Amino acid sequence: MTQGILIKNAYVIDPLSGIRGEIMDIAIRDGRIVEEAPPGSEVIDAGGCLTLPGGIDSHSHVCGTKVNFGRYMSPEDMRAGRTSRKGVMHVTSGYSVPTTFGNSYRYSTMGYTTVLEGAMAPLEARHTHEEFTATPHQDMLANTLFDGNWSVMEAVREKDVRRAAAIVAWTLAAVRGFAIKLTNPGGTEAWGWGKDVANIHDPVPHFEVTPAEIISTMIQANEILRLPHSVHLHCNNLGVPGNFQTTLETMDLAPPAQGDRQTLYLTHVQFHSYGGTTWRDISSKSEEIARSLNSKPQVVIDMGQIMFGRTTTMTADGPMEFKLYMLHHNKWSNHDVELETGSGIIPVYYSRKSLVNCVMWAIGLELALLAKNPWQCLLSTDNPNGAPFVKYPEIIALLMSRRMRENERKEIDPRTEHYVPLFALDRELDWYDIAVMTRAGQAKALGITRIGKGHLAPGAQADVAVYPLKPESLDPSVDYQQVMAGFSRTLYTIKRGRVVARDGDVVVEGANSTIWTRARVPPAYDMGSDPEFTRKFDQYYTVRLRNYPVQDVYLPRGVCIETEAAL
Amino acid sequence: MRVILKTRPRKKPHVPIEAEGIIPQNFLRKNDLTVYEGNRERHLEDLFFVTVEGPAVSPDQVEVILTGDTGSIKRVGEYMNAGRIIIEGDIGMHCGNFMSAGEIIVRGNADAWLGREMRGGRILCEGNAGDYCGAGYRGEKRGMRGGTIEVMGNAGDFVAEYLSGGEVIVHGNCGDLPGVEMRGGTLVIGGNCSRPCGNMTGGTCMVLGDPGELLPSFRRNGSTEAEFGGKKFRMAVFRGDVANRGKGTLLVREEAIISRLREG
Repeated sequence: MTQGILIKNAYVIDPLSGIRGEIMDIAIRDGRIVEEAPPGSEVIDAGGCLTLPGGIDSHSHVCGTKVNFGRYMSPEDMRAGRTSRKGVMHVTSGYSVPTTFGNSYRYSTMGYTTVLEGAMAPLEARHTHEEFTATPHQDMLANTLFDGNWSVMEAVREKDVRRAAAIVAWTLAAVRGFAIKLTNPGGTEAWGWGKDVANIHDPVPHFEVTPAEIISTMIQANEILRLPHSVHLHCNNLGVPGNFQTTLETMDLAPPAQGDRQTLYLTHVQFHSYGGTTWRDISSKSEEIARSLNSKPQVVIDMGQIMFGRTTTMTADGPMEFKLYMLHHNKWSNHDVELETGSGIIPVYYSRKSLVNCVMWAIGLELALLAKNPWQCLLSTDNPNGAPFVKYPEIIALLMSRRMRENERKEIDPRTEHYVPLFALDRELDWYDIAVMTRAGQAKALGITRIGKGHLAPGAQADVAVYPLKPESLDPSVDYQQVMAGFSRTLYTIKRGRVVARDGDVVVEGANSTIWTRARVPPAYDMGSDPEFTRKFDQYYTVRLRNYPVQDVYLPRGVCIETEAAL
Repeated sequence: MRVILKTRPRKKPHVPIEAEGIIPQNFLRKNDLTVYEGNRERHLEDLFFVTVEGPAVSPDQVEVILTGDTGSIKRVGEYMNAGRIIIEGDIGMHCGNFMSAGEIIVRGNADAWLGREMRGGRILCEGNAGDYCGAGYRGEKRGMRGGTIEVMGNAGDFVAEYLSGGEVIVHGNCGDLPGVEMRGGTLVIGGNCSRPCGNMTGGTCMVLGDPGELLPSFRRNGSTEAEFGGKKFRMAVFRGDVANRGKGTLLVREEAIISRLREG
């Protein structure tokens, strides 16, 4: 690690520290932000360029078994994005589902230093952690799937919140997961019976619990365990016309916040904001969703923006992927994870000529423009479901420039404007909003500000991105092309006090850490010695309980956030 | 023009060479061709003695001859669109990937994926071919789409998987599951095989040897005459794969069916 770095003349926006754009210096020593740089530090002259905390992606699919299946079922995608070896950079390939190094380099050159993998099946955690280790330029976190977990659903049926909390605590520690992810809660289990749940009050076969009960119980369990992040929810009925009702009902389940973080995080809400009854009359209900969001500070969402072009959809939501397969009849992967969850993968092409796709495209942008508080609506594409994350700069430019949206309007299906309010919105987000939506908001929502993520106050981790953009002289609403180019390629990406990428090239090998949580529970709630829980493994799982936990060797640089459960 | 590439002795002969650059059109201009030896990029001259005889103005006048220890050279003839490649010995995996025109002759044996996703042209393999001859790559929906592959010896498993056009002829035996997931085109197997044409939805497959026990999802649909190698055969016609609502045709010799019935 280098001794120190001094970034001079930086135009800093650091929302968590209340800095809204000031020319200042940033000093780094031993991987942390400090008041004063040690003598002999490397000096970087930012020359008034936009300097932000390292980017954080709070919902992305980059590592794990389903991502890997996406890779090997799409040889055409592998041929699409090849780069050759260059300096310390490995060969990479792939566009929507690149190799791990491809993901890591592309994130790094965009200034991202922390990425949350949106869905890790607990049983398949080892694979995810192995790929984390091969994504060397980002600190990684894993959302752990509990949507169809038999033990959890039994606890929900018994209305035993404490037992549900104990199961979550044991599982998160066992698989080195970060937070609770619910993907179409109940729906993936119903899919095991060839069914889906129609709304949040539709019972799951056999278990006779409803998605609403699962969500509420898990929110309570999450708060009992005092986990840093809230429940991370992919609502039921993804991609179904008219599903906005389900989403609104789900948002109503979020209890008021106790501390300063939300109690419910809804991901890729664009896919959940559809009106109409069929694909023919699908319309945007972003206004209803945003109205509900604006009245509920306890809820945070991310956009799940789609962008036109080729990509691959992958989710634990098996029944949804089957519906997509019935639309496209292209190749399809469907996967069941015993006693826990499932998944599906389908390559797709979002077309400007498709009215449905145009409406989807508009909804994502509307959500970000209609949400009054940028801390409540974060930027994401649900990579790679809506678009590969390399499209983020384009989305930023669209949000910052009405002119760019108007130009795009000429390219898309002309009927779109009758179904969406997008083109009536004048709002243009500013640099501060973008800084919130791409790093500070994520750090706050994930609860990782305490370990020094997402801000630049002394003591914070020295993750910094310097973009070749001069906010003092650049008008983003006119020069949106420059905004796009600037956010695509940093001048410097600094990760834990080291310059890792410069002018679009990665310059060091990198060594990331994996952040996971352990909630300390009283011995009576230790599921590792619970006879009923052990029996579940003996009777149904293909592995025994003692072989289930991920060994430390899978996390060469694990960072554990410990909490004290209120059990 | 004739280009003769003779392999130089190598310190580590087991390290595979990836040579997608070896196609006739690349030898028209005197540009610096490189190939990979393992993960290292090498000049063509570092690995081969290169001899060029005569002129050429278009790629179809170029003939490339590979001699020496060629069994570990992969991807020769990838995206080839004219001319001819003659390989005097064995050839490594992925020979003739995506080739659209021209001719490849392999005097020895070919490794797996010979003519993978081929679009046109002709490949003749005088020895045996490995697995996935004329197939589509894993995850690809269509395999070979046009052209001809003829194997004089035997071929491995999954011959012509995802075949959707063109013709694959194997004079010897095939391994397991030839013509699986076939969508079109023609597959002819001169010898024996096992479980032909699972999941086929179109195309025609003819087995002249013992096809083993047929998959139960093929429905008998009369008889016909077929000719192969100058001889006429009485063939039983099957349609399938019924499990996949397939409309493919599988031809099997009547004698093979009768002898199977006698045994069973």
